Amino acid sequence: MLKVENISVRRGGATTLKDVSFSLAAERTLAVVGESGAGKSTLIGAILGLVRCASGRVSWNDEPVGKCRPALVMQEPRAAFNPRLSLCRSLMEPIMAQKLVMDASRLDRLCQSLEVHLDLLDRRPDQVSIGQAQRVGILRALIAAPPLVLFDEPLSALDAVTQKHTARLIADMQAQEGFAALIVTHDLGYAAAFADEIAVLRAGQIEEFAAAQAFVEEPQTDYGRTLRDAAFALGALERVA
Amino acid sequence: MTIAAHGLSAERSGRTLLHPTNVNLKPGERVGLVGASGSGKSTLGHVLVDTLRARGTSVAHVPQSPDEALDPLRSMAFHWREAEQALGLSPDDARRADLFNALQIADSDLRKRPWSWSRGMQQRFVIAMALIGTPDLLVMDEPTSALDPVVAAGTMGLLDAYLRDRQTALLLITHDLGLAARWVSRLMVMEASRIVEDAPTPRLLSTPETKAAKALCAHRNWLELPC
Amino acid sequence: MIRIFAGLLARAVVVLTGTALATFALLWHAPGDPALSIAQARYGTVVSKEVLDFIRAEAGFDDGFWTAFWAWLAPLIQGDFGQSSVNGRDVWPDLLTAMSYTFPLALVSLGLGLAVSVPLALIATRRPGSWMDRSAVALASVGVAIPAFWLGQLLILLFAVQLGWLPAMGAERTAHSILPAMTLGFGLAASLTRILRSGILEARGQSFLPAFHRRGVAQRNIARDHVAPHAAVPVVTVLGLELAFLLEGLVVVEVIFARPGLGSFLVNAIFARDFPKVQAMVILAAVIFVVVNLLIDLIYRILDPRMDGRDA
Repeated sequence: MLKVENISVRRGGATTLKDVSFSLAAERTLAVVGESGAGKSTLIGAILGLVRCASGRVSWNDEPVGKCRPALVMQEPRAAFNPRLSLCRSLMEPIMAQKLVMDASRLDRLCQSLEVHLDLLDRRPDQVSIGQAQRVGILRALIAAPPLVLFDEPLSALDAVTQKHTARLIADMQAQEGFAALIVTHDLGYAAAFADEIAVLRAGQIEEFAAAQAFVEEPQTDYGRTLRDAAFALGALERVA
Repeated sequence: MTIAAHGLSAERSGRTLLHPTNVNLKPGERVGLVGASGSGKSTLGHVLVDTLRARGTSVAHVPQSPDEALDPLRSMAFHWREAEQALGLSPDDARRADLFNALQIADSDLRKRPWSWSRGMQQRFVIAMALIGTPDLLVMDEPTSALDPVVAAGTMGLLDAYLRDRQTALLLITHDLGLAARWVSRLMVMEASRIVEDAPTPRLLSTPETKAAKALCAHRNWLELPC
Repeated sequence: MIRIFAGLLARAVVVLTGTALATFALLWHAPGDPALSIAQARYGTVVSKEVLDFIRAEAGFDDGFWTAFWAWLAPLIQGDFGQSSVNGRDVWPDLLTAMSYTFPLALVSLGLGLAVSVPLALIATRRPGSWMDRSAVALASVGVAIPAFWLGQLLILLFAVQLGWLPAMGAERTAHSILPAMTLGFGLAASLTRILRSGILEARGQSFLPAFHRRGVAQRNIARDHVAPHAAVPVVTVLGLELAFLLEGLVVVEVIFARPGLGSFLVNAIFARDFPKVQAMVILAAVIFVVVNLLIDLIYRILDPRMDGRDA
């Protein structure tokens, strides 16, 4: 269980996160939604220990989060790989960093589930499509079987059809591997369809925290309603007739 | 008068970017151009605008990101004056105030350069600039992808109200059928550098015929995905 | 703006102090006995021990490094460059005379470089990859590769010796500066052409330009208002570095053409081990560098205010 307790982050005099608390149980999915500048990326940084918290505590099963070796899937799939190395080399980095032994059958299984053809792994990042690159990015995140995976706008570089296809793959992987997923996204449609809970982040604070279905049907705050109505207006959510 | 362009095509170093294509829009019509990334939507938008412009039709184009529309070294006021001059118009404060009010950027400082404005404001400024000459057709390439949802929805709403009062046709280019379906009355589906389907929005949503249209329709709604 | 200027100024002071210290330390630790060289420069090859002791005391060589450094630096800050250790004359007037020969030559060379490189770069970039472009690039590459001492002698051979059109040595008449200016200007033109060309091409490839075409802005206005300012940014940046090559070239050219400028001043001072003169010259070069780079920093910030992350 991921526990975030009262964390605050200050950067250059301004508070970018203020007294944020929530928890995320194993195998569950939490979507953090909000506009740019709301502190979504800072939250990921704080959980991973990349950003120093002025106060508060982040833990996984009452131990520092770093111990469980959480994985991160980034927004720009091709930029997340070393452009000079084959995808296969980049893929093996978490294995080598943690001095694990690679189980060939696991790699086969992951590749199959994520629809990554093995030939693809011999190519460099610029030789595959963005959708393919993102699936390999997810593969790399999952290869060392982390109990917690953070997704930073994992779909926003993809087109609408690929987005939904990739979202489905991520959900299938989660059912198969049983990791807890924290997904940062600006797309309420994605959050509503695939998350158990939604946290609305605004100006560094959690404005609303609710079950995904309940939030879409009836947000409890004005800002939550604004976000939902914007999603309606952009066709990201369909108004229930 | 109907806006019509026939035999639009494009190629670069022997590779076909756009197969010969015809586009027709009625005055004030809202049309969506949808398709996967790389299907040639943006190319068609560029070729259409360039062709119509060369022919003297009043047409404006709003690129995907304000970075592709504004010079970071020049002030907003410079951009505005330049756009007016390009249309042969003399400066008109009333027209500017009208557009700025319509897009809710009236409180911004025009002496600043683009990067001092938020991206949402920049995008609205670019849209306002496109509307200076009250064009017959406005082509918008992924107008919402650079914006936060709330700002994007607001911008679309404001634009909708503004266009409704005039006879400006809209071509909305997007990969997102959900977005397009919400704002246009007719949809054109692109695949592999050609338009493969062209139908009124309700018809296309209910009975898509081509593989590309079917895929787009099946993945339109987050809450009703095929398994 | 004032804070930025103060920051730049503080940096300039640090650079100048560092240069002064480095110059002094290098000469202090140079191999051989400086006192002996000074004595030989003044009194001939045979020197007695008393004379050497006298010179050491006079120049402060006995007092240790820091005392001697301060004894030199303190008057320098007040603008006193001291006296030549060879003939005892004030350094400053000599330096001033040398500058009066060198600065006009430097300016003419710079003007010549710009007058050649700007049109050349414009012609070359009209159609990138065309034979005109490739010839301009080839010419510029050759120009950058040719050393000034070789080109200078070549020009002397052609215009002074073979054709007899221009004088080669000295600096009495304006005609005397033509060949040196050509030598320096050619090298400058070559490197400026390369920078300008890549600057223009890069500025033309910017992603926002097609939008200006589609807005109906005239080609001429786009070139003037959107391409030129972007192309100017790298050129201005590199101009500061070019100054280093210009100074280096000046030393060589003045020696080749026997002109009494700063280059000759420096070379003669080094051969005579005239400490105060060498130091004065190095400090002057450092001041020129710092001032020019300060100006360029300011121009750069005016051209591209993104550097400060704030707007007017």
